[in-house]
Amino acid sequence: MPDNRTAGRPAAASASSSTAASWSPFSYIVVNLARFIRPGEITFSGVNSTFPMLACLLAKRAYDWDFVYINVAGGVDPEPGHIPLSSSDPVLAEQSASIFANEDFYDLCTRGRMDLTFLGAAQIDGEGNANNSVIGDWHRPKVRLPGGGGGAVMLPTARRACTWRTEHSRRTFVPRLDFRTAAGGFHGVVTPIAVFVKRDGRLALQSWHPESSLEEVRERTGFDFDAAGAGPTAPPTAAEERTLAALDPDGRFEHDANVTLR
Amino acid sequence: METNTASGFKAGGKQVSLAELAALVPDGASISLGGSFLHRGPFALVRELIRQGRRDLELIKQSPGYDVDILCRAGALRRVRAGIVAMEGNFGLAPWYRKAIESGSVQLEEHACASLTAGLRAAAFGVPFQPCGGLHGSRLPELNGWKCLDDPYGGGKPVWVIPPIRPDFAILHASEVDAAGNVRIAGTYHWDRIMSRAAGSVLVTAERVVDDAVFKQAPEATVVPYFMVQAMAIVPQGAWPGSCWPDYAIDYPAVERYLEPGDEALARHLEAAPETREAAHA
Repeated sequence: MPDNRTAGRPAAASASSSTAASWSPFSYIVVNLARFIRPGEITFSGVNSTFPMLACLLAKRAYDWDFVYINVAGGVDPEPGHIPLSSSDPVLAEQSASIFANEDFYDLCTRGRMDLTFLGAAQIDGEGNANNSVIGDWHRPKVRLPGGGGGAVMLPTARRACTWRTEHSRRTFVPRLDFRTAAGGFHGVVTPIAVFVKRDGRLALQSWHPESSLEEVRERTGFDFDAAGAGPTAPPTAAEERTLAALDPDGRFEHDANVTLR
Repeated sequence: METNTASGFKAGGKQVSLAELAALVPDGASISLGGSFLHRGPFALVRELIRQGRRDLELIKQSPGYDVDILCRAGALRRVRAGIVAMEGNFGLAPWYRKAIESGSVQLEEHACASLTAGLRAAAFGVPFQPCGGLHGSRLPELNGWKCLDDPYGGGKPVWVIPPIRPDFAILHASEVDAAGNVRIAGTYHWDRIMSRAAGSVLVTAERVVDDAVFKQAPEATVVPYFMVQAMAIVPQGAWPGSCWPDYAIDYPAVERYLEPGDEALARHLEAAPETREAAHA
């Protein structure tokens, strides 16, 4: 809960205190999600999506081009007075000149005009399909997960969809999904150690965290992937670092996310 | 003069107490709850259904969280039809919902948010099914026995069609109503609008009642016209511990206390709710 979390934050200053530009596991995910956003495009962030919310707000402030940011609170290019813990908080519609409600952004997506959407995924396979439903058998679940949500309809109909995982392991990057909630294949996936992009219908490694390695990514990924042309991820720019520090001045989001490299 | 041939709810005198509003929902009813996750849900009414000991309810909502969780915790549900379920706001999965589904004590019809909307649209539009874009490659259609149709006009691709979802009640928490029962919602109305069109009846809790002149000055701001509303109650803080824009934000400490285990924690949570103070003063 926020009041307690504001008090203790061991990892808070890690990004801003380093002298050379470097990644924290937290900044790595936020900034690399933001780097999937392109000028002028309609880009959506939804529920349960703190990282994409931060990525969209960062891209609005850190880059010298603009895009259309819509979100699940109905906001269209909002200017929220504060950054909420809930990525569906109505503060994300502050200063919005219109309300683009839930039916609107789903219809936009199914008619093929959602350029980029961010969607959660519990398990991801080598084609970038997602399980958000269940660990184990659907009818006898070991773990009941949140469910179909946006993915089943948005993943196959958005022009591009990207996701993130704070855990990079063979539990999350699997050869075979326990249940295929959503097909269509992610365009991009970001973890604390790697950035994947879709190439020829499969997830391919684009880059890895400079403190990780190709070997580590292979070791922690349950499916085979192409790594041609991959190398260490370019460090955060000064604008990216500065903007993220301003979005999370007391380190609350970084502390709550509790992302580690290993 | 009112006759039983009328389709809508023309009569006045719709404003009732929260307890009277909840009493309109019988055991076994299907209820579609407005809002999304911790935002602007009709949570005071949900708690009142629990206080009245309601059983075997069917909950229909694209993105339930606190509401589905507390109803599972109280043993009030038989079935859930939902797209995505979580507490959100950093609280993760909904723990009592999870237990209810994993143990089989509550039945789940898992949807995509948009397929649930398509079912509501089928009911709202008065048609036997509603096409839903996407879903290709998902196992959800097979799980739910949905059909895939060829484009009868020959041009397009096959499309999944969803059967009607017609809740007995849409239960919405609104910013404002007028004396007749017109409904305004500040900020996004999430899925409240399509729920109101799909349901057999609309029940409303609202932060406040305002003069009908306010509504007549901006009729385009009315989400539900009065003739669709069966009854309403004025319940300030009715979305607690969630938010109701712009009146109040999520009460995070209260959600944290709700999540403490045990029947006593639930009882304390129900007693701490704002509507209990309103009732005591009424």
